[in-house]
Amino acid sequence: MHADDKKAQRVVKIQNPRKASVLVIDDEEAMCEGCRQTLEESGFSTAVALNGAEGIRLAEKVRPDVVLVDLKMPGVGGMEVIRRVHELDPHIVPIVITGYGTVDSAVESMKLGAFDFLTKPFEPEKLLESVRRGVKLSHLRLESETREEKQVPAEKAGPSKQDVLLKGLSVLSESYSAGFDRMDFIDELSRLEVEAKYHADILGRVKKREKAILDVVNELRLVDEIISKHDYKKSSLIQILLDTQVSLHWLPRHALKWISERLNVPLADIYSIASFYEAFSLKPEGAHSVHVCMGTACHVRGAPDLLRKTSALLGIEEGQSDDKQMFTLKTVHCLGCCALSPVVQIDDFYLSNPSLAKLKKVFKSLEAEEVHK
Amino acid sequence: MKKLASTSDLEKTRRAIVSEREKKPVVITVCSGTGCITCGSSDLFDSLHQEILKQGLYDRIELRKTGCHGFCELGPVTVILPKEICYFQMKPADVPEVITKTIIGDEVVERLTYKDSQSGNRIANLRDIPFYKYQKRILLANNAVVNPGDIRDYIAIGGYSALAKVLTQMKPDEVIHVMKEANLRGRGGGGFPAGIKWETTRRASGKPKYVIVNADEGDPGAYMDRSLLEGNPHGVIEGLIIGGYAIGAHEGFIYVRQEYPLAVKNTQRALEQASQYGLLGERILGTGFHFDVRIHRGAGAFVSGESSALMTALEGHVGEPRPKYIHTSEKGLWDKPSCLNNVETWATVPFIINQGASWFRSMGTKGSSGTKVFSLVGKINNTGLVEVPMGISLRDIIFKIGGGIPKGRKFKAVQTGGPSGGVLPESLLDLPVDFDELTKAGSMMGSGGMIVMDEDTCMVDTARYYVDFLAHESCGKCVPCREGLRQMLFILNDITSGHGKEGDLELLEELSETLREASLCALGQSAPNPVMSTLRHFRDEYNAHIREKRCPAGVCKELIRFDIDQEKCSGCGLCKKNCPVGAVYEKEKKRFFIDNEKCIKCGACYSVCPEKFSAVIRSSGTPQPTAFTAQKGGRK
Repeated sequence: MHADDKKAQRVVKIQNPRKASVLVIDDEEAMCEGCRQTLEESGFSTAVALNGAEGIRLAEKVRPDVVLVDLKMPGVGGMEVIRRVHELDPHIVPIVITGYGTVDSAVESMKLGAFDFLTKPFEPEKLLESVRRGVKLSHLRLESETREEKQVPAEKAGPSKQDVLLKGLSVLSESYSAGFDRMDFIDELSRLEVEAKYHADILGRVKKREKAILDVVNELRLVDEIISKHDYKKSSLIQILLDTQVSLHWLPRHALKWISERLNVPLADIYSIASFYEAFSLKPEGAHSVHVCMGTACHVRGAPDLLRKTSALLGIEEGQSDDKQMFTLKTVHCLGCCALSPVVQIDDFYLSNPSLAKLKKVFKSLEAEEVHK
Repeated sequence: MKKLASTSDLEKTRRAIVSEREKKPVVITVCSGTGCITCGSSDLFDSLHQEILKQGLYDRIELRKTGCHGFCELGPVTVILPKEICYFQMKPADVPEVITKTIIGDEVVERLTYKDSQSGNRIANLRDIPFYKYQKRILLANNAVVNPGDIRDYIAIGGYSALAKVLTQMKPDEVIHVMKEANLRGRGGGGFPAGIKWETTRRASGKPKYVIVNADEGDPGAYMDRSLLEGNPHGVIEGLIIGGYAIGAHEGFIYVRQEYPLAVKNTQRALEQASQYGLLGERILGTGFHFDVRIHRGAGAFVSGESSALMTALEGHVGEPRPKYIHTSEKGLWDKPSCLNNVETWATVPFIINQGASWFRSMGTKGSSGTKVFSLVGKINNTGLVEVPMGISLRDIIFKIGGGIPKGRKFKAVQTGGPSGGVLPESLLDLPVDFDELTKAGSMMGSGGMIVMDEDTCMVDTARYYVDFLAHESCGKCVPCREGLRQMLFILNDITSGHGKEGDLELLEELSETLREASLCALGQSAPNPVMSTLRHFRDEYNAHIREKRCPAGVCKELIRFDIDQEKCSGCGLCKKNCPVGAVYEKEKKRFFIDNEKCIKCGACYSVCPEKFSAVIRSSGTPQPTAFTAQKGGRK
């Protein structure tokens, strides 16, 4: 089946909550029938397959939430079914039902993705409880998948999640052999899975946070260098802010707080300066600054037109930065290049009355440079 | 470098530098001001350097990066000394030819020389080019021969000799006396006599005293100070040290806009070199005088160029002005006596010391002596910096030096004095340019911006532009300025967008009066000037906007539209290519139309349409010929 179709089906499932569905695969017809009755009485929709191959086919067709599967079947065995079903659609939760429960087979099936391990014969309540939790898990998986599809995942949480899970499994298999109750085993497992997911999320967030903190620390180091270059003089405050603006492209709050503490100047005073002068920016600016000169000489020779042209080309208004934080468009009162008017200054170089093509070319090449970086 | 221990050391060093320089008979100077760098002077310099090495002419030719020559529009400017052959807009590809023909041979490369826009003649010698011929270049002359990055260049032309003279032969009072005699009036715009200011500061009680260079050249359209600091920072520094000596200050500041990175860099380097040579620091030239200079970069606020605001900024606070019941020359920086002068004023000082007050007074008018640098920009053929004696007429500056208005357009007005000044119409072109005459005519000298406007410039828009600028730059401390300008801007925005109504002009005049009377500092007091002077000379234009909803100059965006004349259009498609918003569409092959709903009125199509076709039509206030609109309808 096509990947896109799969997605479409999943979406439909979530949008129209319907009966949870369970597929029972067992070569014992009586077993199948027993399960079917128990489940349908409790409001599940069911499908039944009497061998592995048919089970896989049916799973493909009905996309159940949970698959109950016997391990020992003629032809395609239970392990194979679990593997194939997992490949087919990872949100399907397999639960093993078997008459030959061993620790090894339990661990192996769990490694393949089985959610629970029921040894025949089992009480209907046990079956129902296990299935309910399986369905819940299936829905959880679906939800988190669609969430992830919407958001671009910042950190791949996959490997760490699996690691935690496997580690837990090996511990559990030991305790299982040591005679713990199976129910505890199952509970512990699902708890672990939830925890693993939680930790994986946190890990991603922590990593981001760690990077942010590191960035801040680096910025403050830079600011410190600047402050010491100016001998910690209060009268050099504007000079310190100017240098900070040049090296960070804006004046973040933490930098201003840092300067305030270092120079023993109230933060409010620093803000009054930072908001008074044109040169300072209190929001992040793009990597490249585009300054259109609005001096009188430029004005009479068409600076407003140049501004309109540039603004249309970059798709941003004056004072804005583009989405990619590539360019910031600003106006400046006079660059003192009046003889070359109208002038636009892009970073360190000046363009005298550039044509649209020239501007396009410069912006393109700057963008390409940034991508290259 | 060993520090210069005496004035004779300085003279010895000068002679040594000169005799070393004389070994190379030819000097090629390449302008390295911001303007020329933009035009590619760095590449040109590199290829000249390589070509000289390649041809083995290193022993004969000195290659020098210099400050601004003033003629920025035709940059990069290259001058070959001693013959003063001047080449404009030379490209690296021209270099081998120039070296072979002009340097080795004795032939001028015609196509690189100046072409007179009126007669069409080619002029090779710098002195014969009208732009230079009618000027009296004193400050700017040095700019064009020294490398701002090398103090030896400045010393070679006699730099720091005025300082040597002052330190060893003159008492501070004598220096002040000379300055008062010379009647050097502040070049920053105020026109207050520098000598008197120096004297007040010297007499004021309180120590220490400070001297400050105001290089916060905020006037849009003016760049004299930038060019002087970029091109010859030592001249300014020398003037400042002399001022420090005369006033009794041992610390100086240079307050320069951060928008001028090259000026900051060159000044910084000049200060370092001056210290190395013992011209700054302890025991200058072996005398007992000590002096230090620090650079302070302004962070981009027009009002911080006002003296009290500038000093507040130097202290590290928000650069807002304060009431000046007590002058800054008595209580200025940190409440100490401080003398603030503009870049050009300081740069003039060494000349006055060296050549005397009577020499200085021999130039200019009775009330305003000496020369003044103007930035002659806008709609004019020869754009750039010009230095002229005071008293020259506007007509001479604009038509003789500036070469008139480009593309045969008609002169409309010239704006002087920046946002505090006003516009002067054609009827006032014979006005002699000096402090008092310009003020009488309703404008002012200002720092020297001279923006020429032609018939395509809208005067209402110009007034709106200045008020917009000032409203933005008002610090907001006093109500008349903050609120008055805001209201004036609302009214002017209405007028330029076609929403003006009767009575607006009277209201503007009333507001102007209030601003002038009640504002705290010069920014607010002079803010109405652009509005008042345009109202005085161009009231008709205001009325056309208000009554006919028409912009006669075709500038105000909301009142104009662009269309393509199908009969004139050749179908080249340049307009389509240059439209940034895709408002030009090709209805059928080679038939172009402008979608006025999409059009942002940037005028790109209008300016790229080849002159021989002139098919893009800009119209204002007139109904559209049906031909345009009918055909446009067909598209939908």
